[in-house]
Amino acid sequence: MSRPGRQLQRLSSDSSSSSSSTSPERGVDDDNDSFMLQANDSQSSLGIEVDQEPSHDVAARLAYEERCRVSPVARLPAELLISIFARLSASSDLMSCMLVSKEWARNSVGFLWHRPAMSKWESIQSVVKSIRRADKFFAYQDLVKRLNMSTLAAQVGDGCLMGMVECKRVERLTLTNCTKLTDTSLRPLIDGNRSLLALDVTGLDQVTDVTMMAVADNCLRLQGLNVTSCKKITDASISAVAKSCRHVKRLKFNNCSQLTDKAIMTVAAHSSHLLEIDLHALLNIESPAITALLTSCPHLREVRLAHCTRINDFAFLDIPSNPEAPFTLDALRILDLTDCNELGDKGVEKIIETCPRLRNLILAKCRHITDRAVLAITKLGKNLHYIHLGHCQRITDLSVEALARSCNRIRYIDLACCSNLTDVSITKLASLPKLKRIGLVKCAGITDASIYSLAMGEVKNGKRVNGASVLERGIRVLLTNCLKLTHLSLTGVQAFLRDDLLAFCREAPSEFNDHQRDVFCVFSGTGVGRLREHLKNEKAAQVIGDTDSVTPSMGDRIDDDLGLDGDGDDENTGVDSDGSNTPVISLDVHGSHRDGQTPILHGPSSGSNSGVLFAAGQHHHGYQYQPHLYPWTSSAHAGPSDPSGAAANFSQSAPASTSFMPYTFWSHGSNHGGVGSSSQAPQSVYHDPSHGMGAMDVPAGNGGQGGGAQHVTGMMSAAVLDDVDEGDEAFGEGSEIID
Amino acid sequence: MSAEAADQQVKLVSSDNVEILTERKVAERSMLIKNMIEDLGAPGEEPIPIMNVSEAVLRKVLEWCTHHKNDPAPTQDDDADSRKKTTDIDDWDQKFMQVDQEMLFEIILAANYMDIKALLDVGCKTVANMIKGKSPEEIRKTFNIQNDFTPEEEEQIRRENEWAEDR
Repeated sequence: MSRPGRQLQRLSSDSSSSSSSTSPERGVDDDNDSFMLQANDSQSSLGIEVDQEPSHDVAARLAYEERCRVSPVARLPAELLISIFARLSASSDLMSCMLVSKEWARNSVGFLWHRPAMSKWESIQSVVKSIRRADKFFAYQDLVKRLNMSTLAAQVGDGCLMGMVECKRVERLTLTNCTKLTDTSLRPLIDGNRSLLALDVTGLDQVTDVTMMAVADNCLRLQGLNVTSCKKITDASISAVAKSCRHVKRLKFNNCSQLTDKAIMTVAAHSSHLLEIDLHALLNIESPAITALLTSCPHLREVRLAHCTRINDFAFLDIPSNPEAPFTLDALRILDLTDCNELGDKGVEKIIETCPRLRNLILAKCRHITDRAVLAITKLGKNLHYIHLGHCQRITDLSVEALARSCNRIRYIDLACCSNLTDVSITKLASLPKLKRIGLVKCAGITDASIYSLAMGEVKNGKRVNGASVLERGIRVLLTNCLKLTHLSLTGVQAFLRDDLLAFCREAPSEFNDHQRDVFCVFSGTGVGRLREHLKNEKAAQVIGDTDSVTPSMGDRIDDDLGLDGDGDDENTGVDSDGSNTPVISLDVHGSHRDGQTPILHGPSSGSNSGVLFAAGQHHHGYQYQPHLYPWTSSAHAGPSDPSGAAANFSQSAPASTSFMPYTFWSHGSNHGGVGSSSQAPQSVYHDPSHGMGAMDVPAGNGGQGGGAQHVTGMMSAAVLDDVDEGDEAFGEGSEIID
Repeated sequence: MSAEAADQQVKLVSSDNVEILTERKVAERSMLIKNMIEDLGAPGEEPIPIMNVSEAVLRKVLEWCTHHKNDPAPTQDDDADSRKKTTDIDDWDQKFMQVDQEMLFEIILAANYMDIKALLDVGCKTVANMIKGKSPEEIRKTFNIQNDFTPEEEEQIRRENEWAEDR
């Protein structure tokens, strides 16, 4: 008799592993909990019907039997009723349940209040009013587990948040860009809360150590902390948090400019469960802090050090090395070293030795690295999916060729401004079976003429294939082999500014000025297919009337006054000016211009995969790294050209950058320049928070990132996004480590 | 489990003392039974008591288990999925669940007791579907539940949760 009970208990304890199922009281707060309770409640159902029913209370038993006869649903113990209510997502349904009976109300109210509606001002007021009522029917304040005020961000002030101050069991507090908030409301809200798991105060630049000390004093279960751009926060409070919140898994300190090695060392010393850390643009951070982090946090999956300009090779070389028992960070999948420009080949070699399973490696603007580093990277073999070498100008065909040979699962490669590269590299890269995006912006090796020949290639006549054009063959291979290619950005490439070709081009975004429109040239989605088709037809025509002299004059018009560096307009046009003059602005366009792309024929590029090619003229200008607001970006994601899934996948494709930093946005222009996440300022506070945007994912989103080549775990997001469909082992395994 | 073990028969005993012989593979859809068999060590010899489940319900549950005996073992992903609030139910299961309410809730209780997660899931979804889109009064009628609120209490709950209405 007792056996089944015991066994069930065992089972249920086995299943109680989720990190988010935390509340001590009933299962109402979290899906996980109610799930667990399904196992637990077997005890109680047992009890009700057999064991524990007091035999002396025959009358009660009869009443119960009668009730069950009349209303069979009464047989269900509370826990089962709860797991039924857990299936109801519409709050209107839950609301109806609450009004059915007292028993139903008790068991559904937790779901309704789990995450109260905060998207309208009236809702907030109504919620606060109920919480503050003296004679309320339920203790609503204790039922609120998730509080997210970011929808109304800028309107939320201390007074408003104070209304929620009684909610001490909040587990996830999201106040992204509620810039009016200060310690005045935050400290009392956090004071006394022992349940908090995740805190996001991104962009709250008035928040100080006072609030963070409250976190350290109270929130011992904290797992995720995002204090991006809370510039007043100092080492003192972060060290305190690190010392007391020992379960921390995800940390984002982006732009917390006061933080130094001291804070990071303390984190390293105390956070053995750390999975992700983002130290974007912490200019004070030096190598020893990074060494400490990597050495003491063995579970790290994601380390972002973009623009930590003071770190150098020793950050990695100082990691203990023992040939007998090599120290490796087997979980590390993403390493972003954008603009760590002190980094050299030795550092990269050590990185590869230490992190053999890197999937995404971003070395954009690590200008010192050479072929030697890239040859080391080839050791990552099939693990490598995403590599950014933009502005690593010293690398040559030698290593890129080797890279393409060894790392044949590369989905994304950016070689912007790698001016030594030629046809050889491109041809080799074109053979990568999984390639979805290739960035060749400002690769000097690719002349306008060769881009032209890329598309027109054999069209002209057979002669050119052997001859003059360096890249002709390579590019042709790209076009014909990469059937996944669904995005071709050729803005500023004079050869394509021809009416017959522009017919397949998207429209320039309405935000663009005339000049920007003049050079705008992007083919995407069906446009690529139609272009291909057009060129094929043209070729056929050409074969008949072999015109040898069609070569257009190129390069004349794309000159300095095109302002490829964008310098000229930035100040005037404000947020969206930068990239607009560069040959790469194109990206931003997608989405808003679907009209032009009626789904005629998909051409060879149809299908669920998509790919993107970025190429642009060879002009080297000053690179412009400026933060921008791209008001059309959100819509861009919503409507990429590839209807078959690019849009859907976008949310997963925030590869290079901090995936859950909606506020931070990088200049598109610089992306295209291959700069990676070049600007650190978290400006785009109005940016749709649902899209983690970053340097390289901008083009990705636009072009449509087919099968989800990139994997990024957002800090607050459930651990892992992966291309399951590819059958790769991925992050998933990492997520098991702790979760 | 070896092929031989899969073909094995096990003897279950319902709460009303009826013995039911079934395939071990079918019975082991129930984690309760699976664990008991593992603990007992000698399957097939000793009858396994299913204390809380009557013959009629047990037969019904075993019918479900038979149909689903070859389902792949649930993965971590499935667990995550089942937490999603979808109420889609496959056709066979939907038909299977077309029973009177007494049987419906008995099946849910049995699935819970016998630890058959997938069946419990189907049961809960079925009930959730019966709730969806209904007014409180319609729900009471559906399940024959007595309204034990006073009009004042009902009004108070309505007022305190009004924010939920337009979500």
